[in-house]
Formats: sequence, structure tokens, C-alpha cells
Amino acid sequence: MTRPPQRTGGRVGVFGALSHLALVVWAILVIFPIIWTFLGSFKTNTEIFGEHPLGLPATFHWDAWGRAWAKAHIGQYMVNTVIVVALSTFFTMLLSSMAAYVLARYRFFGSKVIYLLFVSGLSFPVFLALVPLFLTVKNLGLLGTHTGVVIVYVAYSLPFSVFFLTAFFKTLPTSVAEAAMMDGASHTRTFFQVMLPMAKPGLISITIFNILGQWNQYLLPIVLLPGNAEDKWLITQGIANISTNAGYEADWAGLFAALSMAIIPMLIVYIVFQRQIQSGLTAGALK
Amino acid sequence: MRHGKLSSASPMALRRYGFILSFLAAPLVLYVVFVIAPYVQAFQIALTNWKGISPDFDYVGFENFGKMFADDVFWQAVRHHGLLLLVMPLATIAIALFFSFLLNIGGGQANGRRTGVRGAAFYKIVFFFPQVLAVAIVGVLFQAILRPDKTGVVNNALGAVGIDPVGWLINPDLALWTIMGVMVWQAVGFYVVLFSAGMSSIPSEVFEAAALDGAGRFTLFFKITLPLLWDTLQVGWVYLGIAAFDGFALVQVLSVDRGGPDNATTVLPLEIWRQAFTFSKYGYASAMGVALFFLTLTFAVLTLRVTRRERIEF
Amino acid sequence: MTNTPREITRRQMMHRLGLTALVAGPAAGLLSACATSGGGSTAEPTASAAGGAATSASNPFGVKADAPLEVVIFKGAYGDEYATKSHEPLYAKEFPKAKITHQGIQTIAQTLTPRFAGGDVPDVVNNSGTDNLDTGSLVAAGQLLDLTPLYEAPSIDDPSKKVKDTLVPGTIESGLVGDPAKPYLLNYVYTAYGLWYDAKLFEKEGWTPPKTFDEFKTLADKIKAKGIAPYAYAGKNASYYQYWMILISAAKIGGNQVLIDIDNLADGAWTNDAVKQAAAAWAEIGKYMDKSYEGLIHTEVQTQQNQGKVALYPSGSWLEPEQAKDTPAGFEYAMAPTPSVSASDAMPYEAIRAIAGEPYVLPAKGKNVNGGLEYMRVMLSKEAAKAFTEKTKSLTVVVGATEGLTLSPGTESVVAAQSAAGANVVTWSSFEQWYKELETELRKQTNALMFGRITADQFCANMQKAADKTKADSSVTKQKRTA
Repeated sequence: MTRPPQRTGGRVGVFGALSHLALVVWAILVIFPIIWTFLGSFKTNTEIFGEHPLGLPATFHWDAWGRAWAKAHIGQYMVNTVIVVALSTFFTMLLSSMAAYVLARYRFFGSKVIYLLFVSGLSFPVFLALVPLFLTVKNLGLLGTHTGVVIVYVAYSLPFSVFFLTAFFKTLPTSVAEAAMMDGASHTRTFFQVMLPMAKPGLISITIFNILGQWNQYLLPIVLLPGNAEDKWLITQGIANISTNAGYEADWAGLFAALSMAIIPMLIVYIVFQRQIQSGLTAGALK
Repeated sequence: MRHGKLSSASPMALRRYGFILSFLAAPLVLYVVFVIAPYVQAFQIALTNWKGISPDFDYVGFENFGKMFADDVFWQAVRHHGLLLLVMPLATIAIALFFSFLLNIGGGQANGRRTGVRGAAFYKIVFFFPQVLAVAIVGVLFQAILRPDKTGVVNNALGAVGIDPVGWLINPDLALWTIMGVMVWQAVGFYVVLFSAGMSSIPSEVFEAAALDGAGRFTLFFKITLPLLWDTLQVGWVYLGIAAFDGFALVQVLSVDRGGPDNATTVLPLEIWRQAFTFSKYGYASAMGVALFFLTLTFAVLTLRVTRRERIEF
Repeated sequence: MTNTPREITRRQMMHRLGLTALVAGPAAGLLSACATSGGGSTAEPTASAAGGAATSASNPFGVKADAPLEVVIFKGAYGDEYATKSHEPLYAKEFPKAKITHQGIQTIAQTLTPRFAGGDVPDVVNNSGTDNLDTGSLVAAGQLLDLTPLYEAPSIDDPSKKVKDTLVPGTIESGLVGDPAKPYLLNYVYTAYGLWYDAKLFEKEGWTPPKTFDEFKTLADKIKAKGIAPYAYAGKNASYYQYWMILISAAKIGGNQVLIDIDNLADGAWTNDAVKQAAAAWAEIGKYMDKSYEGLIHTEVQTQQNQGKVALYPSGSWLEPEQAKDTPAGFEYAMAPTPSVSASDAMPYEAIRAIAGEPYVLPAKGKNVNGGLEYMRVMLSKEAAKAFTEKTKSLTVVVGATEGLTLSPGTESVVAAQSAAGANVVTWSSFEQWYKELETELRKQTNALMFGRITADQFCANMQKAADKTKADSSVTKQKRTA
């Protein structure tokens, strides 16, 4: 690595060392709890609550993993969550890009009002809507179904997605779309064949936001997938449930095993796709 | 259809409106039915004494709001949001900016380009980890890490260097700060990546020119990087600010007696939850929700107004 | 929707409120049809609809043989195996065609509140745990079933007796709610409250449970010298274990009327001298507690006790089954009464709170309310009660259901404490179920008192303020008890 010649070595050295130290410390702060969780799944209650919570487990038995898998249905919840989040993210992106495109590119009576209506949704606390929302979903017969969750996720992801995508579509050059329209392409075709591909970077970053947000949802599934729909539960519900369970049954190793099971696949997926995620965010930040 | 309203009613305009309608209909219907309508009802419920567990209720006017303004716990929660709003976004953004500067620009020049410090790619990946963990998981995890006696991970580590256990979550003066710390822990990685993205989009000629003028790292950071990142910062600020009005999951899992000790960590979403689901005072809870709505709205509007600046084009 | 110009009931109003979501906005035409049909079926109370079958001696409530039954059990210390392995199969034996849906959960309130709001409720609910439903509000809203028919029905074991005559005295009274008070709760588990310790450890060290608070402090010093925490409770989620001790002490000092006054929101009930003395005595014990206990949950502290790190722990008799898996060999649970505050106490040292606990309720708008009643009648049979005691190591309120069972050490000590107490029984506290907001405040103030942030006087003043606030709150339905 070459250094700019005009800098004095000493200052750079101290600054460099300190900044490296900061980076290393933060990296440890991030990685350590995750490794500790993983190790915790092999420990006994005494080891977890003993004098040396930082120590290694005496033996590496997978019992707790078996218990968590069988009793907490982590696998089932994971599959459910993947299905729900995949569907809801897809429809969120489809519907929000359609709405955002129209709101960004067309002036018509009420466009400003509709835009503000969407954006104002960003500041609504979900708690406020909980019981009315429950009644709506129930009256539609969608309570305890994944369809209901997907629809609600999509609806609640719209404000954020429409807000950012509208801003994004506004920054795209108008010339290409105009040329396509000149050639006789319909509005719809222009959107799907010209504008969407152009908006790809922005779409990717908003998609990532939505996947993260919906994967981590906690409140909505509790209400929309009540206890009698246990086979349809999502991963956050499973974790919360096993955590409460651990409080009553004192199966801490099982709790850590369940946490590990929830953490590890997400980390793997993230590491595999991190390049796309980062470049998606890069594209998003550009605008 | 409302032909009359359309300016010319030409086939072109009709097609245009047909397109607009077809694209907006589905998202709008979904949004109005599942988002707007429940919220409108919540405003209505705020004026009732509805208990949430039966269909009966009476309209009580603004009684709930009167009670709310006389409720100490409400004001405590509001103060906590104020503190969260002040500290959490600032700390997150400061740490994230510092790291992203190091990871993108702080390493000096290589082949005429500014680069990050060694291992930058690794750090960028690792720092993002907490973001992929569900907040429910983070809560359960930190519950064990922050345990108040020496079986807690942090206190055990402190004990190794001779420091007595710290009551991270049980000391009323410390608990809210601890929870903020966990929020920052989870958020930093995301903003490191976001700001890194912003920084890498700054053309390298800008830095080269500055370097020729003899600008040091600090000048580079404050005079060039920061202004050029303003838009990204603003987005981050709004996003973190909205998060500062939540905090429900972490407070519920981590704090003593849910919002304690002595209400030291309570937040509005938690009080709303408690009033609605524990005390069956759904009308009152909705009044608090309405207050939260206006607080968040005020914040968002103020931020967008105050931070509006001339865009720096490059 | 057809609108007749008749009076609009509140239910219809609420129904409409629920429907505005669907009627508002451009979606009106599209969705109103299905919304009407969907909403209409739920608003209909179904109590009578399912009860088609005729009553008979073996089916006193006229349960329809094929009506499904939904049971929700709080899966806490007692687990839910007693329900899935005994109570539900026993019910199924009577009605083989009935489909039983079972749910074992911890978060009762979060899960069921929206269902009550939506009118789609289960048939039997074990309303327990930290997150239980506010029974007072449920009763005021007409959501719970009066259990009088259950108690008046013939017992399964002996049809010549009524169910109410097969129960431990006080059981029905402890479940009275509302004004006028009616039995809405079936408190199923016979629960004793006191200080729990490891009899083997105490024997080894030559310690005896303290009979007075002075003895308590002397003993605490001795225990502390051994490097063991003399006394601890879990402040994070179980401060109510501690306020029970304070309330029990208050009743021992001033008699049961102290607790009855508190329940009745009587003026100055909390600033009563007995409450003050009790709070002050316990605050002294609080000084022996490490601050960290405020941040631990009950199973964490209980595990510490199993590890020999905590000597005395305040709890009810579910402690032993709850810790069964973690109790090491050689650890023997035993329960002692709370110490006396002074020689002039109204009740002797031996007095304990031993009452029916663990409430079960029947939602009034359940789809199979008669099935719910029958389920409870099954629960109160000797066979079901015996199975419960076997599975949970806990006594039920059914008289004579332990015949032929070997009791666990903890249960033995409860039986011994109970016979020593004789008629000196500390009464229950109904405000916990009646006034949830007051109860929440008490949890908070108890932690503040025990961890030294407020004095006993402040504790009483704060609680009195909270009680006065509840009393003045017109949205809270007030209830009364006389005994």
C-alpha cells in the first residue's frame, strides 16, 4: 500500500493504529455474542449460570439442538417465514414500483394527495391499528393464514417502498421513456420493458430493506397468526415462544440452540449474497 | 368514469388515465383497506372507552386525552423518546460515519484511488451481521449478555479486570442508556454499508484534487465527504429517528418489569401495549397511539424541513 | 347491508366500526359483500346454538355429542400434559365424536385479547401467568360465563352430591368476581404460599426457618457468612412473589380485614399501620439482597437456589414441580410460613396463605359453552384431579383426590404447614384479578421498596395514591367482597 507522500509518518501511524483498533474492537463486539450463543447451546444450565459464562462447554453434545428442533419446530417456522417473506417482498416490489412510477412521472388530479397519503403511513405506529386490523383480516376470513400475513405485510411495506421508489423514479432520465412512447409502446409496456430495468439498482436496495424488515417482523405475526395456528407461525414467534418457555422450563441450552438455528441460515444467506446487498445499497445511496 | 373532469377526453388522455388507474388501483385499495382504515378507526376509538374485549363502548369525547396529559408515565415515556431521538441516531451515525470513512477513504491511495484500510471488505461484511438478526433474537441474546450478576457475559469480563458487576438494566440511571447501546449495536452495521455506498460514489478526482491542495484526513472528512454525503445522512437520520419512536421489542424483553425499574425505560409503544392488552383500556391506548402518531409526524416533517439543503451536484 | 330504522345497539355499532375498514375507500363495492357475510356470523352469540342436545344425568349440561371443544392452557409451572394426557382424554371418552383443539401457551392475554374483541373465543381458558387476561374487565363486558350451574351440577364420582360439595371450602368464594359477585373463576389448584428452602441444606447447617423478623435477620447474617444469599426474589418478572409476602405479613399483623379493605379500595387501606409495618419489616430483609436480583427472572433465581446459592425464596407450591427438572438429588423442598412481625400480631406465626389458585374460565360467547362446563366437571372428578397431582406434584381443590398417591417432599411440607395453621388462614387478594392497573403499580413499587429506592412510608403513600386513582377511574368496574 502506498501512502501519500505529503503526510508525516508518525501521525498516520498513530491514527492508523487507533482506527484499526476501533475496527477490531467493533468486529469482536459483533461476532462474539453470536459465537457465544452457539457455544451456549452445548452448555449445561450450571455452565451457563456458573462463575465462568465465558468458558467453553465441557462437552459438545447436540441434545439441545435436537430438543429445539423437535419441540420448537424451528425448521417449520423457517420454511413458513421464507415462503411468506418471498411472496410479500415480491408483491411489495411489484405494487410499490407501479404506484411509485405513476406518482413520480404523471401529474393528475389527486396525485399529490395520494403520494402524501402513502408517505404519511411512514409515521404511523402499528400498535394503533392492531385491533381494527385484526378485525378486518378476520372478517375477510384471512386470520391464521399466510395469505393474510402476506397481504398485510405488503400493505404495511408500501409507505416506505413508495416513498423511496418515487424519489428514485424521479431521478431517472425521461428521454428513454419518451422515445419508447414515440415508438408506440403503451404506458404499461414502457414501464415493464424500459423503466423497470433502468430502475433495477433502486429496486434491489428497496427489496433488501423489505426482506430485512419483513423477516424481523414480530408484532404483526403475533396478532395475525394466533396461537391456534401454531403450524403457520413465523420464526420470530418461534423464538419468542421458546424464550418464554425457557423462562418456565429453564431449558437455556435449548434456547441458545434455537437462537443459533435462527441465526446461522440468515448469516449464510447474507454472506453468500453480501456483494449484491452492498451493491444494491450503493445504488440506492447514489440517488 | 368521470369523462367530464378530463381536460380533453381525447383517446390519448383516456389511455393515460386508464393506465394511471390500473397501476394505482391495487396498491391503493390494499393500502386504504389494511393501513389507512384501521388507523382512522383508531382515531375514532381514541374517543371511546372501548375495552377491546367486547363490542360495547361509549363515546367519551376527549376524556382519554385529558387523562393522558395528566399521566406521569406518559410524560416519562415521551421524555425517553426525546432522549432516544437525541442520542441514538447521533451515536449510530457518528460511529457508522467514522467506520465507513476508515473503510473507504482512510487507507490512503493506491493506484491513484482512495482506498479503505486493510481488511475493509471483511469488516463491511461482519459489521452488517446484527442487521440480519431479528430484533426478538437480539433481545433474548442481550438478556443473557447483560445479566446483572457476574454470570452475565459483560460483567464477567469486567470482573476479570477487577470491576464489580454493573447493573446494566437494573440501575434506573443506566437502564435506558444500556438499551440505547443495544439499539446502536444493531444499527451501526447497516449505516456503515449505506454510508460506504455513498462514499464510494464520490468521484476520486474530488479527493485527488483535495489531496493536491494538501488536505489531511480530517479535512477530507469534514470538508468533502460529509457535505457530499448529506442526502444519505438525511435518509439515515429520518430512518433512525422513526426507530427511536419504537424500541418496543427490546424494552419489553430486556427491561425490569417491562419498562422499569421505576418506569426508567418505558416507551410509548410499550405503554400502548400495556394499556390495551393488560389493562383492557383500548380507548386510552388509542389516545396514546394518536399522540405517538403526531410526535413521529412532527419529527419527520421537522427533519425534512430543517435539513433541506442545496444538493451538491458532481 | 340492510338498515332497519330500529335502535342501533352497541354491538351493531362496534360491528360497523369493524367494518368501516372495508366500507371506506374505493374498495367499497368490491368487498362489502364478503365483509357482511363474514362479520354477520361472528357477531352472533353462539351459546344457545351449540347446546342442542337434551340434558340427562350423565350429561347435565346437554352437551352436543359432536360439538368441538377448544381448550387453552397456560403452559407454565404445571405444563400442559395434565390436560392433554388426562383431562382432555377423559372428556373425549364421554364425547368420542367431539374434536378437541388444544393449545398450550404462555402469553394468554396477547393471544386471546384480539379473539375476545373479535368474538371468536375458545371454550375453556386457563387464565394464568404474567400475561393473564384482566378478568374484571372481561366480567364487566359480559365475556365470561357464570359457573353456578357447574357447582350445582351432580358430581361425576358421586351423582348424589353436587360438585360444590366435593371441593375444599373457600374454593368457590375465591373465584367470585363482579358486582353482584358471582363465581366466574374456577381456582383449581390448592396453593400454599410461604418461604421455600432446601430442608437438607438447612439440616446440614443447623439452620431453622425464622419465626420472627428478628430471627430472620440473625439467620440472614449467619447465612451470608457462608457466602450464600439469605433471601432473594426475581425482580425482573416476578416481583409479585414479593408483594404476596408483604400482603401476607400485613394480614398476619392486622388480620384478614386488611386485605379485604385493600380489595375494596377502602380509604386509607394501604396506609394502614399493618401494611406499613409489613413493608418496613420486608424492606429490612431487602437490604440483604444483592441488587442484581432485580434484573433476574424467576427461573434464574430458582436455579440459583437449586445450586445452593440462595437460602430462602418466596413462592407458592408450584415451585417444586416447576423446578423438578433442575432440582439436584439431595435437594428437598420445604415451605415455612412467613415470620411474625411482633408479638401483638393478630395471627400466629403458623398462619399461612393456603387457597385455591390457578384460575380457569369459560368465555360466555364460546361456541360450545356447555362443553366447557362439562370439561370443568370432568376436571373436578377424582380421576382427573389425581392425574393432575401425579403429573404436577400439586394438590387440587378436589377433596380426597390424593388417596393412594405418594406425595413429594414439598407437598408433604405444605400438608404439614396447613395442619399446623389450622383455622389461621390468610385470605386471598382479589385486586390482583380485579384491578390490573393497581396490581402493575404494586409490582413496580415493590421493587422500589425492596431494592432500597423508597421507604416503607413512601411505598404505602404511593400505593394509596394508585388505589385512589383506580377508585376514581370511572372506566374501571368496581367490585366488592365481604369476606
